[in-house]
Amino acid sequence: MSSAAAEQDTSPALAVEDLVAGYGGVIALDGVSISAGTAAITAVLGANGAGKTTLLRAISGMIRPRRGRVLLGGADLAGRSPEQMVRAGVAHVPEGQAVIPELTVEENLRVGMMSWPGGLSRQRPSRSERIAALDEAYGRFRPLADRRRKLAATLSGGERQMLVIARALVARPRVLLLDEPSLGLAPRVMAQVMDLVVQLSREHGLTIVLVEQNARGALAIADHGVVLNLGRVVASADAAALAADVALRHHYLGF
Amino acid sequence: MVEFLQFTLSGVSFGMIYAAIALSLVLIWRGTRLVNFAQGAMAMFTTYVAIEVIYRTGSYWTGFAAALAAGAVLGAVCQLTVIRPTINKPPFNAVIVTIGLLILIEGLAGIFFGGQYRAFPTAFSQTGLRIGGTPLGVSRYDVFVAAAVLVATLVLAAAFRYTSAGLRMRAAAFNATIARLSGIRVARVLTVGWALAGLLGALAGVLVSPSTFLYPNSMDTIFVYGFTAAVIGGLDSPLGAIVGGLLLGLALSYSGGYLHNGSNLVPVVALVILVVVLMVRPDGLFSATQVRRV
Repeated sequence: MSSAAAEQDTSPALAVEDLVAGYGGVIALDGVSISAGTAAITAVLGANGAGKTTLLRAISGMIRPRRGRVLLGGADLAGRSPEQMVRAGVAHVPEGQAVIPELTVEENLRVGMMSWPGGLSRQRPSRSERIAALDEAYGRFRPLADRRRKLAATLSGGERQMLVIARALVARPRVLLLDEPSLGLAPRVMAQVMDLVVQLSREHGLTIVLVEQNARGALAIADHGVVLNLGRVVASADAAALAADVALRHHYLGF
Repeated sequence: MVEFLQFTLSGVSFGMIYAAIALSLVLIWRGTRLVNFAQGAMAMFTTYVAIEVIYRTGSYWTGFAAALAAGAVLGAVCQLTVIRPTINKPPFNAVIVTIGLLILIEGLAGIFFGGQYRAFPTAFSQTGLRIGGTPLGVSRYDVFVAAAVLVATLVLAAAFRYTSAGLRMRAAAFNATIARLSGIRVARVLTVGWALAGLLGALAGVLVSPSTFLYPNSMDTIFVYGFTAAVIGGLDSPLGAIVGGLLLGLALSYSGGYLHNGSNLVPVVALVILVVVLMVRPDGLFSATQVRRV
């Protein structure tokens, strides 16, 4: 089920090579390499503590890798700060539907524009561009439009997930890192979020790295799957092939 | 009744100064969860800048502007040089650094400006206003003090609420991780926060000094009152800082006026208020009740 775009493009949109990262004395990623094809969905799976979240953090600059490369369109950006990574086109949506509850829905979306060129920059977007970006977000996520002046604290779990994805999209990324977007959501809402992820990759050409506990759901929509265990890649294959590998599923994916 | 009015108006005037200090503490607290114990000393230093400029230029307003500018610069410089290295270190490190700053700045003020008490000029008359023959207990200057802090607060509040820079500061204060992932340069935002806090502190210093004289320790008591006001307000809430400042100003004014030997008891009253508030509402009167930390 790999997309045509992914097969045509020889260099992946995002590649990670031999990445080592951790916290204090703990090595959470021990030489991980993955590559995410342009406009494809790459699912990163594995048990708790496998290093999935750490992988996203090391890519987006939330933690500094101790070794290895993070290649974006061929350029090594390992060790850049999150502020720089989002400007380079990598948007990271952390787990837990992390809206800023003290801000309104619209303010949360405007936070997503903070990576746009600003100050005295020549490319500084005009006011109408900002409004157009908001309208686009509201057009895609209708429930947010109705609540734009409400505090994000008042949103439901599903609406919060919409808002954090919308905030990431407002930054106009090329690569979207999604950490457990379905966690804590009702099954119906979970399905909507998965549909959205597919739509973003197929229709908008976003390269998506999807970290999920829900391995079955993630593999159903992914083009490619990577299985991590204790900070190492134990399998990397076509999503359909991974889903068909009964031994691997039982051993690492729990279904 | 006249007496009550006098104490009230004078309480509001001093309360606004405590509110300015409290607001400067809140600005820094929200960004970094740090109480800047050097805030008063920084304000004292910039007030010396004001007095030197006033004596050289003969213009109160030039000195006033110089103090505010110096406050912003001093705040930013302190943050960049000694506070930034403490970020991501145990929180106590930064506290010790601000106490070190306090000692350093007061020492430098003594070296540069001398230790003697100096009178600070005012822009407006400090003689009491009267309605009919009745003294109100406030002067034109007191009105200016209250108005200046009010204007500064409103401008700041509007900037926070309606500008992109304000949104950056709020986002960085509420959730630094999300802010950084969204492209906000949080380190820079924190420096700006210190600059604004320095500016507000400088405002308080210039406004209060005609009533206290200026010397290297002159802002210590004011800082304690400002800190008390900030704690009453919950340290997290700009509105709480203003209300806390006013409540404290009024309480101290009434106790100084009505209690026997009251003026000597004022610091004790402040302490009692602080302790009572911390016992009854440990997070302050204006603490957000919703859970913010996960």
